[in-house]
Amino acid sequence: MSEDTDLPAPRSRFAAWLTRLGDRMLSLRVWDLRVVRWIAMLVAAALFGLVVTVPLDLYEQLGFAATGFIVAMVLNKTGSRLGTLAMMVLSVAASLRYMYWRVTETLGFETWVDTFFGTGLLLAELYALIVLLLGYFQTAWPLDRKPVPMPPDMSTWPTVDVFIPTYNEPLDVVKQTVFTALALDWPVDKVKVFVLDDGRRDEFRAFCEDVGVGYVTRDNNRHAKAGNINAALQVTDGEFVAIFDCDHVPTRSFLQVTMGWFMRDKKLAMLQTPHYFFSPDPFEKNLETFRAIPNEGELFYGLIQDGNDLWNATFFCGSCAVIRRGPLLEVGGIAVETVTEDAHTALKLNRLGYNTAYLAIPQAAGLATESLSGHIGQRIRWARGMAQICRVDNPLLGRGLKLGQRLCYLNAMLHFFYGLPRLIFLTAPLSFLLFGAHIFQASALMITAFALPHILHASITNSRIQGRFRHSFWNEVYETVLAWYILRPVVVAFINPKLGKFNVTAKGGVIDEAYFDWTIARPYIILLLLNMVGFGVGAAILINGGSIEPITVVINLFWTFYNMVIASASIAVASENKQIRLAPRVAAQLPSTVRFSNGRTIACETQDFSQTGLGLTLPANMEVPLGEKVQVSIFRNREEGVFPAVVVFNRNNRLGVHFESLNVKQQVELAQLTFARADTWANAWGNGVRDTPLTALKTVVRIGFRGFGLFFKHLYSMATAPRHTRRASAPKLDTGDK
Amino acid sequence: MKIIAIVSAKGGVGKTTVTATLSTALRYRGHTVFTADLDPQNALRFHFGISPQEIKGISRASLAGQPWAETCCQSPSGVVVMPYGSVNEADREAFENHLDANPTWLRSQLDTLGLDDDDIVLLDTPPGPSVYMRQALTTASVVVIVTLPDAASYATLPMMEGLVQTYCTRRPDFSSYSYVINQVDNSRQLAKDVVQVMNANFGERIIGLIHQDPSVSEALAYDKSVLDYDVRCQATQDFVNCAERLSGLIQYAGHAQ
Repeated sequence: MSEDTDLPAPRSRFAAWLTRLGDRMLSLRVWDLRVVRWIAMLVAAALFGLVVTVPLDLYEQLGFAATGFIVAMVLNKTGSRLGTLAMMVLSVAASLRYMYWRVTETLGFETWVDTFFGTGLLLAELYALIVLLLGYFQTAWPLDRKPVPMPPDMSTWPTVDVFIPTYNEPLDVVKQTVFTALALDWPVDKVKVFVLDDGRRDEFRAFCEDVGVGYVTRDNNRHAKAGNINAALQVTDGEFVAIFDCDHVPTRSFLQVTMGWFMRDKKLAMLQTPHYFFSPDPFEKNLETFRAIPNEGELFYGLIQDGNDLWNATFFCGSCAVIRRGPLLEVGGIAVETVTEDAHTALKLNRLGYNTAYLAIPQAAGLATESLSGHIGQRIRWARGMAQICRVDNPLLGRGLKLGQRLCYLNAMLHFFYGLPRLIFLTAPLSFLLFGAHIFQASALMITAFALPHILHASITNSRIQGRFRHSFWNEVYETVLAWYILRPVVVAFINPKLGKFNVTAKGGVIDEAYFDWTIARPYIILLLLNMVGFGVGAAILINGGSIEPITVVINLFWTFYNMVIASASIAVASENKQIRLAPRVAAQLPSTVRFSNGRTIACETQDFSQTGLGLTLPANMEVPLGEKVQVSIFRNREEGVFPAVVVFNRNNRLGVHFESLNVKQQVELAQLTFARADTWANAWGNGVRDTPLTALKTVVRIGFRGFGLFFKHLYSMATAPRHTRRASAPKLDTGDK
Repeated sequence: MKIIAIVSAKGGVGKTTVTATLSTALRYRGHTVFTADLDPQNALRFHFGISPQEIKGISRASLAGQPWAETCCQSPSGVVVMPYGSVNEADREAFENHLDANPTWLRSQLDTLGLDDDDIVLLDTPPGPSVYMRQALTTASVVVIVTLPDAASYATLPMMEGLVQTYCTRRPDFSSYSYVINQVDNSRQLAKDVVQVMNANFGERIIGLIHQDPSVSEALAYDKSVLDYDVRCQATQDFVNCAERLSGLIQYAGHAQ
């Protein structure tokens, strides 16, 4: 095993030497002997138990913690996966040691107030610890699967049905997906495209007839998308089914890249590719972090699914995936018992002994949810669905799963239970500052000596594992925004899995003016205000002195300040920026040419493209009247598409053109040269700036301050605005009970 | 020296324009470029701003037994041009008979120029089989076949390839042949289909797709190369790309000595 591209390159000769040493130790032949592995494991387990449980006094513990942390820092310089695994072991040791001490030494509560808050915090910590351990397990060794080429003889290639389910999305959105689906590089007689219209709309039927794709409807909407797909399975017969949400446009290479594995592995039932978004999600839009900071989904598609793949526990995510028809029918089609039918379907396939796989190459791209309320609505659905699966088909129980699969599914489900623990962490210091509760029966220094290693090890280890796909501290922001909202649905679904329905996420809309979403922001505002009060009280205690240990107050003040930053950052997310374009633009420099009406040409490149037009960068300023009819060529290697267009914008060598009456053939060609280009999305994947915890902290703090300022600004403008001009209310949050 | 013959089976494909513009583009890439006109039309010189009154050229020089060096003119861009020369019908016939009788004529004439290994010689030829084309094909290390994206031109390509097979492929100093498709207009479906067929058949052998562009003929009217006349037009871009490919090709071509 050589260096891993996921990891930073070794930064010194010592680190390089250490990396090689690690690799060599891993490749020793003795590990081939089962008995050696068992002995090593038993010895290691005994030593590990000792490390976790041995009692130490303050100075011994400090020395132990410092040593462990220094070793971790050195390991972090190496580029080997063994280094990562060793850091995980150190982190697990520090965390378990902390938890052992926490449970055995700090729980002597004296009053019921102490007991109440103290137990709450302990449970939240236990939850976080379990998720941390499961997370390490899940991502210990991402599989990093590569595509398998298709056999050269095309007559052996299987038939594929492409399903595009839709319910209420506008035709323009669906059109783009259909055009790119028609552009898929696959033998023409072996691929069929179907639009599954649960809206049963005439314009959709007419469009499908025009372009020559299948149009499938049913006479009811039972089980939403899952039911829609299952109904279509009845009337189609391809050996494979490729499923795309109607706003996910596949690249032309999608099938050729994904299908190879099905040819090699006959037990493979489902292969998932990442969901990649070419428009910013509400976080990216409102915090202006698009392409600069990995978004919420990137951790899952960049790392977690790749980690799941090692354990043969890749989840189906509803779109951008291929499923083998036979096994799908065997499990009764797409699962309908829960609202996360996708993950549940994969679970059922795994239970029957079929394999699922993940290929981390973006081969499709889609629209992100526009508004925060829409985003939250979607996450509520996921959370509810996962809680439902936990109840109706718990992965720890039942037949057919390997331990690794059980743990991966368990973590996916437990993940969505973070609502309450997150809220507890965001308010825990208040129990001391406001109520004087002693939730920790230990001295501040002892707490530091045990808790700090636990937190620091987890931070640097996770930064190393997740660096390309999640920056430090962002997890707190993403979770805080959702915590309150997923709390209730998860609990409800866990108690009664039958409650709650499927809600469709609206996308591709327009936010016509910037506004502050007071409704959505309410929990963050309350959190912020509570922590501000706590901070004020704490500061007053510190100034007035008194019987309380000052260091305890200072620790709690730090914690409260951090919570204020996180709550303020969440408020910043609720401040919706304007979104003006209906057809989102994709920034891309593609070679192109404009041919003016006098025949003259100019070679240039695109700045961005959309379904309806192009932004072009001209090599020099040119006099072009608005409204002039032109022909625009877009090139892809030797391929060239020529499209009639009209000039709609011209300023400083930027030319905007709007396509004019493209026929179906031209639409498909346009899709081939723009959205369906195989390289469009893959290039940006995971190539953002790697995490450095301090930079990430700075960014989050800056956003926190901005949110803090925004909150008071919006408060002021609401207080001073005449009553009748106030925005009546922001779009109401749809929690899925439509 | 690297000798590139520009040929076509059919007339009117813009071969002379391609020769002249590629010469200039190669010159702009820093090569030392010599361009010889082996076409009795004697039209290459117009692309290099040589006066119509100028009568000297390789035909006259050969008949008079003078060295080629005497015929050289320098174009504004620095390409060394050797025009065909103005001759009457009788002299032309005598010249062609001379070429017919001396198959190594071109080779030996070029050798008298004393060029460096890396110097490039482009040869413009008349369309279809002729003594000139035979001389060019038997001498060149790289052959560039110019064609239009239409059915008639496409139909003549097998004949052209046959000539290349006959005169070039077995020579040890021959390197490769390639295609330039001239006057491409992908907004017309037929032209586009032909380009697609050619792409599928010839693949990497196609080193240039030159788009139809009014600037090309306008440039000639202004006595300029399109490369200077309209720096930013698509045709200029295409010629620059084509010269880059050609430059890469001849890098690996054996030294024809």
